[in-house]
Amino acid sequence: MGGTFGEQIAIHGWALATAAVVSAACAVVGTLLVVRRVSLLGDAIGHAVLPGIAVAVLAGGRPGGPLVFAGAVAAALATVWLTRTLHEGLAVDEDAASGVVFTSLFAAGVVIISLAGPRIDIDPSCVLYGILELVPFDTVRVAGAAVPRAFLGAAIVLGGLVAAAALSWKFIVFAAFDPAAARALGIPVGAVATGTLAATALATVAGFEAVGAVLVVAMLVVPAAAAELLVRRLHHVALLAVAIAVAGACAGYIAAWHWNTNAAGMIAVVLGIEYVAAAVLAPEDGAVSQAVSRLRLAWRVACEDRLAALWRAEEGATAAQSVTVSRTGMLDVLAGWWLRRDGSIEAGADGERLSGRGRRDAEMVVRSHRLWEAWLGRHVALPLDHLHPPAEWIEHYLGAEVRGRIEAELGRRESDPHGRDIPPEA
Amino acid sequence: MTALQFPMPAYNTLIVAAGVAAVGFAAGVVGSLALLRKRPLAGDAAAHATLVGVAAAFLATGRRDLPTLLAGALVSAVAGLAALVAVRRLTRTRDDAATALVIGVSFGAGVALLSGSSARGLPGSAGLEQFLLGHTAALAARDALLLAGVSCLAVLLVAAAFKEALAVAFDEAFAAATGWPVAWIDVALVALVAVMVVVGLPAAGAVLVTALVVIPPVAARQWTDQAATMLLLAGIVGLLAALAGVAVSAAVPGLPTGPLVVLAAAALCALSFVVAPQRGWLARRMAERAVRRQWLRGLALELCLRSAEAGPGGCAPDEVERRLTGDAARGRRAVRAAWDELVRSRTVVPAPGGGGRWQLSTSGHAAALERRRRIGDWQSIIEAAPEAARESLSIDLPAPEAVLDPELLKTLRRGKG
Repeated sequence: MGGTFGEQIAIHGWALATAAVVSAACAVVGTLLVVRRVSLLGDAIGHAVLPGIAVAVLAGGRPGGPLVFAGAVAAALATVWLTRTLHEGLAVDEDAASGVVFTSLFAAGVVIISLAGPRIDIDPSCVLYGILELVPFDTVRVAGAAVPRAFLGAAIVLGGLVAAAALSWKFIVFAAFDPAAARALGIPVGAVATGTLAATALATVAGFEAVGAVLVVAMLVVPAAAAELLVRRLHHVALLAVAIAVAGACAGYIAAWHWNTNAAGMIAVVLGIEYVAAAVLAPEDGAVSQAVSRLRLAWRVACEDRLAALWRAEEGATAAQSVTVSRTGMLDVLAGWWLRRDGSIEAGADGERLSGRGRRDAEMVVRSHRLWEAWLGRHVALPLDHLHPPAEWIEHYLGAEVRGRIEAELGRRESDPHGRDIPPEA
Repeated sequence: MTALQFPMPAYNTLIVAAGVAAVGFAAGVVGSLALLRKRPLAGDAAAHATLVGVAAAFLATGRRDLPTLLAGALVSAVAGLAALVAVRRLTRTRDDAATALVIGVSFGAGVALLSGSSARGLPGSAGLEQFLLGHTAALAARDALLLAGVSCLAVLLVAAAFKEALAVAFDEAFAAATGWPVAWIDVALVALVAVMVVVGLPAAGAVLVTALVVIPPVAARQWTDQAATMLLLAGIVGLLAALAGVAVSAAVPGLPTGPLVVLAAAALCALSFVVAPQRGWLARRMAERAVRRQWLRGLALELCLRSAEAGPGGCAPDEVERRLTGDAARGRRAVRAAWDELVRSRTVVPAPGGGGRWQLSTSGHAAALERRRRIGDWQSIIEAAPEAARESLSIDLPAPEAVLDPELLKTLRRGKG
């Protein structure tokens, strides 16, 4: 390499641009694969295009040229046809059929390339993990400027894919989510499936030179899988997947440059990190927000249990009934401290007692509990001592409206099945 | 060095061939169980994840002997499977995307680690790339013995837990009701697949080692309906493929072993698809032809019977042939073959008047009457009691495509739907 600083920048710029365009094209196609639940088709095609590419190059095609694209699409269609023939014609399990076909085709491709040796313009290692670093050196002249061949091929594929997706978006969505209804309405579901297949092959070939046959699967599937965790609508998923893919390509390329390692591998790793980040941080389904909402619930339950226990203890002090207040988990201790600070519990003569506000809150919890016991006692044949556990759970979820409806149905009862008073609504 | 070791290569090559053959056998056996459990691709994520372990083991220890590298591969294969389970359990991502995700990302990490270590010029790191596509020429005899040992253990384990594994594969509910730990048997199966993927690495490489577990069982399944036979056959297919791959890659320098092993297995598999009895393509074609001939013989019998009813003198074979090919739109050759069979079995005999005319023999006449009676019988049963007919006809009927005119069949089916 070498050259001046400006040349270096141009070289890295082209490689980066190629990676970004390839990732974007793969992300668009990958969205369709992921929502159609055929992600492994991307894996299979990523492997199986190899003999198509090898034969096309042997026949005189140039990497990134139309002949190679045609060879790859033919190989992809052959993969699917063979898989279907084995599955339907010879009753081979579908996954196994796919496994047989794509490994065999990939092996054939490797053997063709190895045997052709110097006569073929494909580096065997490029087959596996691409040579993004060398992409800027194989250029064609476009309007007077030297443009890397791989970039040009990928840009044309990206443009074509985006145009095709934009034109047939409604069909794609309909065919992906309700194929039966789509077919009944006359939408060419089979054509959409074949189009997805051809698009996968095109994106795979576009990415082949830059990132290799195996890592294309990461570019296809990971951005869409990550985007799907973050947003719901399909066109949002597609757009976000493209953004994730481009960001991953740039960050991965720079990281690979920094640590002096393979760019395609690093891009896959960065995409994986982005996926994990999405899985952890997603606003609704992410691990963090799930943990926060679980913690929030546990906190509310602990506070309400504490108030209710104190209320029952005070009730017991007047009605001489035994109550058990023996929960000493970390959360309960914290909840007690918080309730004292909050003013729901105040220090009394011998220990703690409820303040006015604390008593109101506690009464609503106990009211929910006892109404539920009463309702269960009437409608479900449970022994008396089995009424408490479900009520202990549901008391935290009943609002004023449901309490009112239960009470109306029970017909203004004032005591629960154990004979204890049901506190009135606040 | 070459002078001293001159007799060694033959010995070494033989041991390596034996070791790789053992791996092929065990992979076929273990893969059969995975196929029967309908998880043929269970090992693919593990296979792609092994590369990280190979590179990490080298970077961590600085050693590149096979046991160290394979131990690393096993750890990362298990980690890859654990990641797969975590993604499936903890996120909304569906199974197919989860598998593809683990395959792509773990392979990328492996490539980045490998390429980073060779870019730093760490001694010995260049050879690690043989784990991508497999390279048995570099194996030492003791490495091959290690592979063979692990493979034998795997086969013994399968033999010991054969009954349990089959019960889980064929009737999960029954196995669970019997009190067997279905989940743990599944975990053991996947772990065994992961182990086979790891010991298959030197032979087939991370990208293709899945094929060792998938292709031989699919080939073996074509030949038999017996699980035990299938396991044995899959082992033999894997063994033969491994031997062929090792031999060819030893003979042609520069060819990686993995693709050759896979192509050999694929060739055996393709052969099985064509020639296997009952399930194979040839057997199916012949069964189809036999059905078609039987049907044509029946039609010919009916024609001869009608001509006998119309009057004596018999019928001309040309006439029968013309009527049959015309009515049934079937090949002239099939019709002629069916007629020849009637002649050979003396169902039709030359008419006494001669002139190249034929008539039904006594037994042929009886057979034609019997056939007509039976068809009439079934026809009235189907009309009078369709439900009873449906029950009674639950036997292997020929495919309607074999006997009905395709256009007519299409119209009939459309009318029904």
